[in-house]
Amino acid sequence: MKPMLSTDLNAADTTVEKAKIEVKNLNFYYGQSKALKDINLSLPERSVTAFIGPSGCGKSTLLRVLNRIYELYPKQSAEGQVLLDGKNILDRSQDLNLLRTKIGMVFQKPTPFPMSIYENIAFGVRLYEKISKAEMDSRVEQALKRAALWNEVKDKLNASGLSLSGGQQQRLCIARTVAVKPEVILLDEPASALDPLSTAKIEELIDELQADYTIVIVTHNMQQAARVSRQTAFMYLGELVEFDRTEKIFTSPREKRTQDYITGRFG
Amino acid sequence: MSTAASLHQSRKRKNAVMMTLCVVAAGIGLAWLALILGALLYKGLSGVSLSVFTEMTPPPGDAGGLLNAIYGSIVMTIIGIVVGTPIGVLAGTYMAEYGRFSKLTTVVRFINDILLSAPSIIIGLFVYELMVRPMGHFSAIAGAVALSILVIPVVVRTTEDMLNLVPNALREAGTAIGAPRWVVIRSVAYRAALSGIVTGILLAIARISGETAPLLFTALNNQFWSSNLNAPMASLPVTIFQFALSPYEEWQQLAWTGALIITLTVLGLSIIARSLTGRREDR
Repeated sequence: MKPMLSTDLNAADTTVEKAKIEVKNLNFYYGQSKALKDINLSLPERSVTAFIGPSGCGKSTLLRVLNRIYELYPKQSAEGQVLLDGKNILDRSQDLNLLRTKIGMVFQKPTPFPMSIYENIAFGVRLYEKISKAEMDSRVEQALKRAALWNEVKDKLNASGLSLSGGQQQRLCIARTVAVKPEVILLDEPASALDPLSTAKIEELIDELQADYTIVIVTHNMQQAARVSRQTAFMYLGELVEFDRTEKIFTSPREKRTQDYITGRFG
Repeated sequence: MSTAASLHQSRKRKNAVMMTLCVVAAGIGLAWLALILGALLYKGLSGVSLSVFTEMTPPPGDAGGLLNAIYGSIVMTIIGIVVGTPIGVLAGTYMAEYGRFSKLTTVVRFINDILLSAPSIIIGLFVYELMVRPMGHFSAIAGAVALSILVIPVVVRTTEDMLNLVPNALREAGTAIGAPRWVVIRSVAYRAALSGIVTGILLAIARISGETAPLLFTALNNQFWSSNLNAPMASLPVTIFQFALSPYEEWQQLAWTGALIITLTVLGLSIIARSLTGRREDR
């Protein structure tokens, strides 16, 4: 089944897509309980991949393995391989901070840092680069423009990040992530706490960002997955049930469980 | 219908009785505070004059002020805070951040809670054995150390509590951008918890500035001006204790005035602490 999947993907597009991330035989444990079971998939470069599935299926867990953020907590462990450009990031020798500058993440609830809008973005940049004030100014401006937030905040860059609306805060978080120039952006239900208008803006943004970044989005919202992604992975009870081009998943899924889920029969 | 109405009536009666009891209880609690403040203002205010802040504690039967006692209190409180706060903040940081899931944290929290409720006279005796006896004399520095031991558990507790209130999502966000742990703590967690931590420090100041017992065994008292940390030093609480028990009217008046000064200072600090916490909740 696995080799067939990648053939399907390659056949779908005229160009052969390079895999940015390859997950191989990945198992994940919360203490004793196994949350991910033998996951294999490959995420093509500069493209949006969606993880869908009912609550507790392991889609967020899988996302959290990709930047190893799970290591903040004890008793969580991953085994198997996650290759970023062919290099196993689960390797002990992998520097976690450097990994996270390459793989950015945006969370479900907007999480602006308790500092000004400007500082929210400069914070991450300053961690790894020593640049002049003028360069930083332009970096902040670029990032905010990239996240379609510049026009709304350009006159109040020194205001607290917390003073923005929820949708603006989320775009600030995206700007902050983009500013450190990652290669991959992980989005963990980025629009589920937002109103429809803000959601539309975020989705538009995701569509634009895939020109430069490999994007992985976890979503509860199937319409959203259908709208923004090129590939979709359907997960259920810790297993990867089906992974294919998005229109294939939503129009003619191979598995009955996928069919049942996308037609709303469970989940 | 009639049963429903009578049920409703009886509930209303019970509610009225309960509410009356609660209001009376709250009133009694507040009344003591009002009585204490009233008595202090009534007895103490008449003694407030410039000389209280410019003259030394007088010999019996003479007029004078509280300058050396006020100075001593300020000096020992400042040293106590300067020594105790970093230890308390760092310990609280360990418990809420680095050692969040460690057994050691549970143990430290338990011991800290005991320390928090330990009678302060025990702390005084402890420092007496630790410093005063080996040194052979009472000293301001021993008093300051006793106060710093009182500061630590208060600051540990508030620091840990306030850092625990910082949402994990914020830590994850800091980590996800590539920030090392100490940067996340310093630039994100501390910032988010700042007003709470400052509140804890203010509460610690309020607590130690009124402590008498730990100073009785350590800094003792001094009738005269002394800025020597290695010698006994006067302090407001101990001076109040001594003067209030004396038969001399001038001393008793100074004790009332000193009590008023401490109470107003503590009240002021508490109000500042409250307003800082309040602003945090508004956000």
